[in-house]
Amino acid sequence: MSKNTASEQAILFDSLDPDRIRVESARKLALETGRTRLLVTGVVLCLAFAALAVRLAELTAFGIPPGVRLASLSPHNKPITARADIRDRNAMLIATSLPTRSLFADPRDVMDIEEAALKLGALLPNLSAEDVRHKLALGGRFQWIARNLTPTQVYAVNRLGLPGFSFRDGERRVYPFGPIFAHVLGYTDVDGRGIAGVERAFDEKLSEPVAPGETRGIDLALDLRFQTILREELAAAQQRFSAVGAAGVVIDAKTGEVLAMASLPDFNPNEPEQALGKNGFNRATKGVYEMGSTFKLFSTATALDSGAVSIADGYDTSEPIKAARFTINDFHGKKRWLSVPEILVYSSNIGTAKMALEVGAKKQKEYMRRFGMLSPAAIEIPEVGHPLYPERWGEISTMTISYGHGIAVSPLHVASGVATLVNGGVMHPPSILKRDANSLIVEERVLAPKTSATMRALMRLVVRFGTGKNADVKGYRVGGKTGTAEKQVGGGYSEDALVSSFVGAFPMNDPRYVVLVVIDEPKGIKSSFGFATGGWVAAPAVKSIVGRIAALTGMLPQDVSDEEPIKPGTPFYIPARATQPAPKIALGGIARAAH
Amino acid sequence: MKSKIGLMRHTTVLFLLLAGGISVLLFSVKYQVQDLEEDRVSLIQEIKSERRAIHVLKAEWSYLNNPARIGALAEKHLGFGKTDPEKMFDVDGVEAIPFRKGVAE
Repeated sequence: MSKNTASEQAILFDSLDPDRIRVESARKLALETGRTRLLVTGVVLCLAFAALAVRLAELTAFGIPPGVRLASLSPHNKPITARADIRDRNAMLIATSLPTRSLFADPRDVMDIEEAALKLGALLPNLSAEDVRHKLALGGRFQWIARNLTPTQVYAVNRLGLPGFSFRDGERRVYPFGPIFAHVLGYTDVDGRGIAGVERAFDEKLSEPVAPGETRGIDLALDLRFQTILREELAAAQQRFSAVGAAGVVIDAKTGEVLAMASLPDFNPNEPEQALGKNGFNRATKGVYEMGSTFKLFSTATALDSGAVSIADGYDTSEPIKAARFTINDFHGKKRWLSVPEILVYSSNIGTAKMALEVGAKKQKEYMRRFGMLSPAAIEIPEVGHPLYPERWGEISTMTISYGHGIAVSPLHVASGVATLVNGGVMHPPSILKRDANSLIVEERVLAPKTSATMRALMRLVVRFGTGKNADVKGYRVGGKTGTAEKQVGGGYSEDALVSSFVGAFPMNDPRYVVLVVIDEPKGIKSSFGFATGGWVAAPAVKSIVGRIAALTGMLPQDVSDEEPIKPGTPFYIPARATQPAPKIALGGIARAAH
Repeated sequence: MKSKIGLMRHTTVLFLLLAGGISVLLFSVKYQVQDLEEDRVSLIQEIKSERRAIHVLKAEWSYLNNPARIGALAEKHLGFGKTDPEKMFDVDGVEAIPFRKGVAE
């Protein structure tokens, strides 16, 4: 029965025809509303699910970013240290920060000051119980107790279980090569802020955060190996001649990149307190010196390039020049007529001064400006010295400046100027940053290419026949110029305090590197026959540096048989004659030890 | 008519089963995701400590690459000294290197 009813009901329900159902209007309205709402809800739900489905399909089929990108975008991938690394040109790490922990105390929470002081004083080196007592007595809520502890020390302090003491993560600047890059890199203070050198110049760039995955840090133009060679040879020369200091620069003649730059005495940037006093003084960029005869290179180039003097000209150097109360004399005078190449090769002050007079003060100053000698070196580090030169650039100044007196510039100025001389006559501002192979290099034409070619030949002559013989490395066509200047002591010049230098470039047929060595106050020794001049002190150092750089870079010795001999009658002919060792420096008047 | 009712019952059962199945699946996926999340966190920690170690090792590598140190080691263990630039030849110059005495040509 019940089954029947059920089927009847089913039949009844089944046979209902919507068209035949009549509902009263109020109910009908409610029903219609309900249906519409249901429909709207359904449609919305369907759309939502459709959107989810589309997104799902998109993610699975197309949208997945490559795993590497995901990883690099991870917020957990941020740099280990707050301060970025500094690398040399071969990506060798030369300054980095290492994560460390530092101990601090909240003096109010320290229960037993005496106990803490005794225990910590005994545990940590460089920290006495008295220090701890003093720091805790200062009060406040925060006192540093000890910075940059090793993991073992952190463990030991934790084991003491002292209340009121905790650690804070920090980092410590580390220079793996110690003093090798001292003056270039500079150093940071205890809070990691740059105080000198590259650390100071690029402080902002080193400490700014970068987007994850981006490369951080600074790539320097310097080469660790070149730098080591330069520093070793400078130190050897300094020691050999008991000099008070030394400075050296190796510069890429074609780009102006500084490949090595050192100044002695130096310091270990891992212990910045060593940089106080004269050790922290960068002689290569901050020190300005009257460079002496190396300036004759610029004077000769000026004379030739301005057209005032021709390579075939010559001057009588037999008589000293007397101007006002000054006398200009030669260090080892030939007392005869000298050709322009001979004036440079024998480093004649008289001849160079006469050439400068033909050029004139105005043009000389203009060329000096173009060589960059009248403004601080355009290098990135903050320690740059302002050149010193006379305000009134008169006739006497013109003469003295021509052989490097009365004008004081930094060693870097000279190296950069010589790079301009030999590279075809184009000035590149020296740079401590590695230059991108395809980045545009700032350049300014200073000399005609022809003048530059002549200067290369002249510099080679100086090393072959003149004062720079001690710098020659067989097969590498070293060219250069010596310089010896007396230092100003008080109001006058001192005969015992010299600045001896040699600036060279090699190979002279297509110079790649310019090497400058400056030795401050060398003392003559037996093997240099008592001489402390550029040719005896600095030239041998340059020779060693050139030889080692050549071997390091795999530069092969050239066949130099085409160099011999130069025919008499051609402008570059240097008559062979015994160049007797000059008498030991004994000059009066203004300094003109020029050798 | 009967088959329709049967079909509806089947459908209901089917959907119940489906819902049940999906719940189980969802449950297990949820736990899988949780496990993965834990793995991820520990991996991130691991990566962090590895990167820290690499950073320190890089500094040590630099320290060990000190040319003066390598020069001293090469001299001590290999008998190498500074290269004399005059002893450098290109391939064509190999013949110019003299033979040592006692070595047959």
